Amino acid sequence: MSIFDKFQARARAHAELTGEGPSAIATPIDAVRSATHGVIGGKDVVLAGTNNYMGLTFDPDVIEASQRALAESGSGTTGSRMANGSYDGHAALEQELAQAFGWPSAIVFSTGYQANLGSLSGLADDGDYLLVDADSHASIYDGCRLSKAQTLVFRHNDPENLDRRLARLGEEAKRAVVVVEGLYSMLGDQPPLKEFVEVKNKHGAWLVVDEAHSFGVFGERGLGLSEQEGVLDDVDFIVGTFSKSLAGIGGFCVSRHKELELLRLASRPYIFTASPSPAVIAGTRIALQKIIIGQALRRQLHRNINRLYSGAERLGYRLGSDIPGPVAAIILPDRETALAHWNGLLAAGVYANLMIPPATPAGFNLLRISMSAAHSDEDVDRILDGLSQMASQNTAPELTQAAS
Amino acid sequence: MSTTRDRVDAAIGQGITNALPELDEPDRDAALTGDIGLDSVQIMGLVMEIEDELDISIPVDVLAETQTLNQLAERLTRMIDGDT
Repeated sequence: MSIFDKFQARARAHAELTGEGPSAIATPIDAVRSATHGVIGGKDVVLAGTNNYMGLTFDPDVIEASQRALAESGSGTTGSRMANGSYDGHAALEQELAQAFGWPSAIVFSTGYQANLGSLSGLADDGDYLLVDADSHASIYDGCRLSKAQTLVFRHNDPENLDRRLARLGEEAKRAVVVVEGLYSMLGDQPPLKEFVEVKNKHGAWLVVDEAHSFGVFGERGLGLSEQEGVLDDVDFIVGTFSKSLAGIGGFCVSRHKELELLRLASRPYIFTASPSPAVIAGTRIALQKIIIGQALRRQLHRNINRLYSGAERLGYRLGSDIPGPVAAIILPDRETALAHWNGLLAAGVYANLMIPPATPAGFNLLRISMSAAHSDEDVDRILDGLSQMASQNTAPELTQAAS
Repeated sequence: MSTTRDRVDAAIGQGITNALPELDEPDRDAALTGDIGLDSVQIMGLVMEIEDELDISIPVDVLAETQTLNQLAERLTRMIDGDT
């Protein structure tokens, strides 16, 4: 009997996925050349398995600001803001985030994961309720576990199902925090946000929208799905990450309620961790500016998205979302076909993501492709050529019958 | 008149039919994850079916406390009867 016995099933499943060539899980990237190109297995590949939606990781201004902060303020903060001092760059970024939304308060966290952990566990405590979408990211579920609030799960993208759960709470619904995502990162699908807003207003509940994968991508100023859908006035809290469109690492929560500031005194994942390095904060501040005025980048991103979605559909593939978005999840019949597609795309010079149960909803086996504003037409061509080669090796009916 | 436990047992049966038809009369004393081999997403789907059948909300904590369908049934019966 060993404490490691419990991992054996996972280890076996992992071993089954590794054969010759680079592993589909934690794929070793030998070198990163740009926002969209790298080297895997000694070969140049188009990076279509990152979350670099705005393509800003190699932006010269972002890099220059980070380098300057590194030289001027040092490599790390070496502690938490509460205990070890709060750098002015962190406060400036919070102010800029709040201003972007026209709201009074924003808090920076050290990762996107911690932003959900810290926001949800801080906002909802003993006697409160957290109502979360069934397909929520692990960071939302873990935030619920850290909270003393009672957690209830409603059906994915189903406002009517949420309505029933809030109705059962009666007056207590006013102490309920509803959590949805602006874009679900496995299937790439979006919530019916306006309907969710109506339901939460009807019951006097609170609404958190996690815009991790939608910030930068949607809305005139790139603030996310809430901006695009015109519901910002009805959203209470928006959680986001720096590690996707903002091209750094870290996370944030921004709110129309100035009392969000109180979380600094109560949120353990905010208090008991080191704050992001000055270089990350400086780079993120520049990336934020670029996103707010990034209409041209967004046009390019959505052009790439539309090419990929329509191309994949023409090849007979079934996608996880009817509405095109930065994540294209190709639903495949089984794990073997999904792994074959992953390997096939890599052979064609494209790095995508293999996503399999239990990380995926409804037992889906997925090839997940994420698009960037920095992808060139040739990059998108290469992705579609890779898919075309795989489609010709399979019969389209098999692919489109891809129920789990 | 049926007891709460009868209703809960029936709802669990219906939940399995709707969410996990492939299970077909599982052993209700078998561990859901270990013996039956369900993953967390499958268990969540089953629980949402049971919630709708009984028109109750089942807190996520309840799942952490229950290993088998019969343990879940006992827990839900207590919850519905207000003995929690």
